[in-house]
Amino acid sequence: MTQMNMVQAINDALRLEMRRDDRVVVLGEDVGKVGGVFRVTQGLWDEFGDDRVVDTPLSEAGIVGTAIGMALYGLVPVPEIQFADFIYPAYDQIVSELAKLRWRSGGEYPAKVVVRTPVGGGIRGGLYHSQSPESLFIHVAGLKVVCPSNPRDAKGLLLAAIRDPDPVLFFEPKRIYRAAKGEVPEGDYTVQMGQAATVREGKDVTVIAWGAMLYEAVAAADEAQRSKGIECEVIDLRTLWPVDIDAIVSSVKKTGRVVVVHEAPKTCGFGAELVALINERAFLHLEAPPARVCGYDTPFPYALEMEYLPLAHRIVPAIVETAAY
Amino acid sequence: MQLLAPPPAPAAPPLVALRDDGSVDPAHASALTGELAVALYENMVLARALDERLIALQREGRITQHASALGEEAAIIGAVAAMQDEDWVFPGSREFAAALWRGVPLVAYAHHVFGTARDVGKGRDAPAPPFWKAARVASTSPLVGTHIPHAVGAAWAARIRKAAAATLVFFGEGATSTGDFHTGLNFAGVTRAPVIALCRHNGAATSTPASRQTASAGFAVKAVAYGLRGVRVDGSDVVAVLSVVREARARAIAGQGGTLVEAVIPGDGGADPIARMRVHLESRGLSAAERDERLRAEVAADIERALAEAAEAAPPNRESLFDDVYAQPSWNLAEQRSRR
Repeated sequence: MTQMNMVQAINDALRLEMRRDDRVVVLGEDVGKVGGVFRVTQGLWDEFGDDRVVDTPLSEAGIVGTAIGMALYGLVPVPEIQFADFIYPAYDQIVSELAKLRWRSGGEYPAKVVVRTPVGGGIRGGLYHSQSPESLFIHVAGLKVVCPSNPRDAKGLLLAAIRDPDPVLFFEPKRIYRAAKGEVPEGDYTVQMGQAATVREGKDVTVIAWGAMLYEAVAAADEAQRSKGIECEVIDLRTLWPVDIDAIVSSVKKTGRVVVVHEAPKTCGFGAELVALINERAFLHLEAPPARVCGYDTPFPYALEMEYLPLAHRIVPAIVETAAY
Repeated sequence: MQLLAPPPAPAAPPLVALRDDGSVDPAHASALTGELAVALYENMVLARALDERLIALQREGRITQHASALGEEAAIIGAVAAMQDEDWVFPGSREFAAALWRGVPLVAYAHHVFGTARDVGKGRDAPAPPFWKAARVASTSPLVGTHIPHAVGAAWAARIRKAAAATLVFFGEGATSTGDFHTGLNFAGVTRAPVIALCRHNGAATSTPASRQTASAGFAVKAVAYGLRGVRVDGSDVVAVLSVVREARARAIAGQGGTLVEAVIPGDGGADPIARMRVHLESRGLSAAERDERLRAEVAADIERALAEAAEAAPPNRESLFDDVYAQPSWNLAEQRSRR
């Protein structure tokens, strides 16, 4: 075990997999010599050289589009999109090509690409360096979507994602890139995709979160316990799609009450799908309407980002109201 | 106001190899064996006959769509014939003939066109040029230009793996207006990817004239800005296209970078690529009228046999819809498959 932050853990995963599998290549804007704007790929260029750690032209469509071609040829590209906010020029390539290639070709031409990208707010990044577009990808058949909340999961999930046969959107919550620290096993291990983690057990209210907002959910659960004696069960989804439906449903059947937390705007956010799934599968167990604490239906703000984010002080009242319903 | 640069010079005349008397310009005659010349001709005849048949089926409403390439057979077959087995071919929407040249069986294409259970693509996409993994023919979508970065990425990967392989990507001139054309060729220039980008300049994207796609003098000139080589070639001259793409492939493999080939297709009333090649074969004593008639009859029979088989074949079963979304169906797909 080694103490690492998220940046170090993701870097460790990339380095290990590039050593293990010479088909793995990293490409993106400034990922080479500089090691990326968040230094996640630092040192990889020194070890693996120009052919496997590539500073690309500034074009997200080009990065993902050429990565698809590399994958067809037999490489395992791990492109970085510098911020999730910049992913939209590549959206056509991801949605129309990457997600559909296996299906369109009757299984003949899977294109195995892991797109890594920093996601979310809380770093004073403003409108174009803070967004959380995960639901835009969860909605697209053929993609898997991951968002770890801690260094151990980040390393294990990235190793699992690179070895997974399907294309993966790997969202890295940048607010906790360096703030989230923890023990990380040395060497090779994977965290299986599609499995949530129950990070706090409780019998009164289920709180579902992921990424940076997991810490807000846990803080809110602690506060609800301290001030009101409400025992929350907090679930870290870790993999957003395919979501661990069994973990969610069994917890909600136990508590009968649920609060979903996410940074993305509320309307048509992933919380909407989660609530629909819960209604379909645990309706008769529910004691209160499922609640959502989310980003507002506005663009992401610069000056008012702490108003926008669903921080603990906004989650606590939702927990209390849900518990008291 | 002053112009910063003079207006562009008119585009260079397209390169020609086949002369009116059927002889070949000696600069392009090397390695055009009799066998290859006949194969080029026969494949153009097949492409034309199949194209006409699929247009008819589409008009009869028996298939939903068909993107034809009438009159563009030389540009397509001349280019693909210049490639080697280890190379990759990325067709656009109209280059079914390139896939057939690479070895896609006619009957496999017919099953694709009718969307049968025996379609390699399992009837999931409307008729498009067929892919074929064994022949390194990529799957294409009808979205214009998205496959250009794929071809560049595959070529770049070949370069990374130090393989002596190149890629060929086809598109019409409308695709040059897309962002994917720009970013693809820009990546090709920067990475020195061994790619040949073949632009069929036929004067019209659906209905829009080439003058509404670009103000530049032709399309080959765009290569300059990407650090690629640009070549204009007569798109009705299969020998010239073959020669130009062969040279482009050799340069690409040698690490000298990619080439944008603009194959200029003559408009209505222009030269017919098949007739031009027939004159060449006749000048070499390779095609007599009787033999040509037999070829056309054989091609027609092959096409009818393939189409008849596919037209009778069963559609895919409902359950197959849920396969291949992922390598293994996720829980929601398993659930949707089991509940009607």
